[in-house]
Parts: sequence; C-alpha cells; structure tokens
Amino acid sequence: MAKELFFIIVGSIFVNNFVLSRFLGQCPFLGVSSKTETAVGMGMATTFVLTMTAVAAYFLQNYILAPFGLEPFLQIVSFILVIASLVQLVEMVILKISPTLYNAFGIFLPLVTTNCIVMGVALLIPMNNYNLIKSIALGLGAGIGFTLALALMSGIREDLEFADVPEALRGPAIVFITAGLLSMIFMGFTGLVPLG
Amino acid sequence: MNQYARMIIVLMIISIASGAVLALSYEVTNPTIQEQARQKLEQSVLTVIPGATKMEEVQKEDMMIYIGLDDQGNKKGISFKAIGSGFDGPIEIMVGYNPKEGKLLGIEILSMSETPGLGARIKEEAFTKQFKEKSAEDEFTAKEDVQVISGATISSTAVANAIRTSLDKIVKIYPVGGDF
Amino acid sequence: MQLFKDFINGIWNENPIFKMVIGICSALAVTTAANNGIAMGLALTFVLTCSSILISLLRNVIPAKVRIPCYIIVVATFTTVVDLFMKAYFPSLYEVLGIFIPLIVVNCTVLARAESFASKVGLARATADALGMGLGFTWAITLISMIRELLGAGTLFGYRVMWDGFTPWVSAILPPGAFIVMGILVGLINMINRKTAKDTHSH
Repeated sequence: MAKELFFIIVGSIFVNNFVLSRFLGQCPFLGVSSKTETAVGMGMATTFVLTMTAVAAYFLQNYILAPFGLEPFLQIVSFILVIASLVQLVEMVILKISPTLYNAFGIFLPLVTTNCIVMGVALLIPMNNYNLIKSIALGLGAGIGFTLALALMSGIREDLEFADVPEALRGPAIVFITAGLLSMIFMGFTGLVPLG
Repeated sequence: MNQYARMIIVLMIISIASGAVLALSYEVTNPTIQEQARQKLEQSVLTVIPGATKMEEVQKEDMMIYIGLDDQGNKKGISFKAIGSGFDGPIEIMVGYNPKEGKLLGIEILSMSETPGLGARIKEEAFTKQFKEKSAEDEFTAKEDVQVISGATISSTAVANAIRTSLDKIVKIYPVGGDF
Repeated sequence: MQLFKDFINGIWNENPIFKMVIGICSALAVTTAANNGIAMGLALTFVLTCSSILISLLRNVIPAKVRIPCYIIVVATFTTVVDLFMKAYFPSLYEVLGIFIPLIVVNCTVLARAESFASKVGLARATADALGMGLGFTWAITLISMIRELLGAGTLFGYRVMWDGFTPWVSAILPPGAFIVMGILVGLINMINRKTAKDTHSH
C-alpha cells in the first residue's frame, strides 16, 4: 500500500507530470508563470483545492453517484458544481481566518475552478477505481507536480526576459517551445517508478 | 418579485431542465452503449479463443469467465480479463486459455493509455503473439520467458505480471488438465 | 455583415488556440492523429454553439448574481450530452479522447464566450460567434494533429503518405512534440500577422 501511494505521488509529480505530460492545467501554466512568486502562490492554491476535490470526488462518486446509478449522466455536472462551490467556500474561509494567507494565494482561487487539472483529477479517481487514500495521494501529487512545473517555467521565463528571442516567437510561442524542452527532460524520469 | 426568490427559481428551473435533458439523453443512448460494450467484449473473447463462434458468461468466485463455444457447442476454451498497472493507468487484457492443456490460447489488449510509439506497442501482434501456446506453469518473468519491447519494459512487464496473477486464480478454479 | 465579422473573428482574428491561446489542454493532448483533432474540434463546437444559443436566449432571464452557476450547468449539460452520444455511436474515438471530452466543461473558450459575448448579444450574433470560435478551434487543432501525425507516424488520417523508408519521428506524438509543434505554429501565425499588419500599414 505504502509503495503504491509512493508510486502514485512520484508518478504524478515526475513521470507523468500533470502539466508537462498529461497536458492538464495549461491555461494557468501559460498565464501565471511569468513571475516565480505568483507561480508558487497559484501552485499552492491549486494543490489545496486539488486535495480537497479529490476527497469530495471520492465521496460523491462512491456514496451518491454510483449507488444510485447516476454516474453516467450526472457525473460531469455534479463534479463541476462541487468544484465551483468548494473553491468559493475555501476562498471565503481563507479571507475570514487569515488575510495574509489570502493575499499569498487566495487571490488565485477564482481561477482554479476552470483549471482543468482539478476536473481532470476528479474524473481520474472513479476511472482508476482509487480508494480514499489513493485519491488524496493523486490530488496531492497532481498539485505538487503542477506547482513544480509552474515554478520551473517561471524561473526560466524570468531569465528569458533578458534573452534575445526572435520577434515572432515572443509571447506564448517561446513558452510552448520551452515547455517542450522541459517535457523532454521530464521524460527522462521514465522508469523511475518500477512496477512491483 | 423578490430578487432572491427570483435567483432561486431561475437556478431551480435551469437545474431541472438540465436534469431532464440528461435523463432523456441517457435513456436514448444507454441501450446502444450497453450493446457496444457487449459486442466489443464478445469480439475480443472470440479473438482470443480460436475456433469459437459464441460465448457464454459464468461467474466463478469474483471472476467473470467467458467460455468460447464453436458452432456445435463444443467448448473451445475460456477467457478472462487481467488488469495490470501500466505506466500511465490500468492496462486491460483479455486472455484466452485452455485449462485442459494448461496453455494460453492468445491475448488481446482491451484498453490502455501507454505512451504512443513506446508502451502502446504492447497492442502489436509482434508482442502479443508470444503468449500463444504459453504454458500456465511458466513464470512469466520479463526478459526471461517473456520478451519485452525495447523502451517499454514497464508496459511489457505489467502485461506479463497481470496475466500471471490472474492465471494463478484461474488455475485454482480450473485445475490444469481438468474439464471446464 | 456584422454576423460575418463575428464569424470570422473566431476563425482568425481571435482564434482561441493560435491568437488567444486559451483552452489548449485538449489541443495538446489529443492531437496525436488527425482524426482525433477533428472529432475533438467538432465536439467542442457543438457544446460551444448550443451553450451560446441557450445563454443568449436566457440573457434577460438569468439574474446577474447567479449567472456563473447557470452557465456552468448549461455547459456541463451539453458536455454530458456529447459525452453520452460519442460513447454510444463513436466508441473507438471516445476511447482515444478519454477524459478530454468531459473536460470540455472547463475549457476556457466555452465559458469565456458565454460570459463575454453570448450573454450580451442577440441569438444570431451569439450563434455566429460560437460557430466561428468552434470552427476556429477545430481547424487549429486539426492542423496541429495533422503535423504531429505526419511526422510521428508518417500517415495522414490513417493513410500512409510519407515515402518508404521514412523513419517516423516518434517524439512528435510524444508530449514534447505537442509543445514544440504548438510553439512553432503560434510563432508562424505571429509572423503572418506581423506581415499583413505591415502591408496594410504601408498602403
């Protein structure tokens, strides 16, 4: 069990990084990665929501959707509504308990709802038949992987500002190419997770 | 009208309409989805059991067993699903097996999400055909009695392990050499 | 004329993938073969058009405060409809596209058009805009997938087109290939844009 959990987490951070290999969460990856500080804030907010979503998706799937046979046609609607409400709730709670924390990552929360990494993780849980602990591991791993990709990219982009990029490639184009190189590097982690 | 009442009413009407549309689409598509799934299953059972033209389902313990029959109703072999954990999610394999001879009849990869060009090559015949005629007493150790695809050791090993694990269960239900 | 402008807007000027660079998760993930690109594009076009039509029709009914939940429910409903029908009638495509069909619900393009356009204009303009955006998405994603399939497998729509002895550049259908092909295409479109802008300027 511990080994499997380790594989899920390491797998979703390195081997199949959610951003660089599964292509989830591209919008914030491109949009919020120009400064390391904001990138880390966004990453933290997303990781937090992802872990909570994983728990919510697990219970929703196994205690409401599956037992009542609603899964085939209410899954998408109920997941997205739960995610949207969850994000809203987290935002309100953080604003109440700690304005400092809110300034650090709360301001990114509204953007998390339409981050497909959250919906993606929610959908992957029933697909892979994960139990509660594995679901949490997947949410956490996805979040850390997302934060890592964002932090790496923002570090590169901060330096890229001083580079002489061909005019046509400025903006998103060079970010995509850089992401391609990062993705290639992450492919080097293939085989890090052996199968027992 | 009260602003809040209006908000709630609109949201409720939209939700109810949405529910109705979804329930209706589900009613319309569900028979086809079930039929597609059944056809796909039957197709794969008939592929992994040579000579079979019909299939019969039986449940033994926690395993679903699909028995392949020919036109005269003779049992040609059994098949079952093996699930391995691949590089990127589960790999589902249909395994054809003849308990009387204790040999595999063939395998087919039902679903997987391995890397195209690398792990996804476990779907190719060059890889799957080596399991034909393989004895149930073999170890299924990758790189020893199972050849792995270069660059896709994980996916190949996952397939071999999954078949071995399910075979262990099957051998208990249908001892080698016995009837089925 | 206005309608035509709204339609062209999505096809070129504000192309969601190449110009706005939003909703690109699926554009990168499923574009390993040209067929998948077209299918994904059409699925999105359907959801986008239906949602835009409905949201435009309901624009005076939905109270501003609850508009986002309403849009989400509408989009999620149409996404599920596509999901169910694809599962029933195109099972093999459905399998390849995987979770990216349900993920249309969080595709930024759909919600962005609902919020910034469909909720403000009449039925005809909303439809023209949604069709333009959808088809703009479709041609872009199809182009990416054609390039990746051609380089990565030597085929187009499943037919072999490269010469014998061509060694497929597998990287093109692996994740890095998606990013790099996308980057080069966005760069090219920038270049075309710059050129046309300069031309019109000098006249």
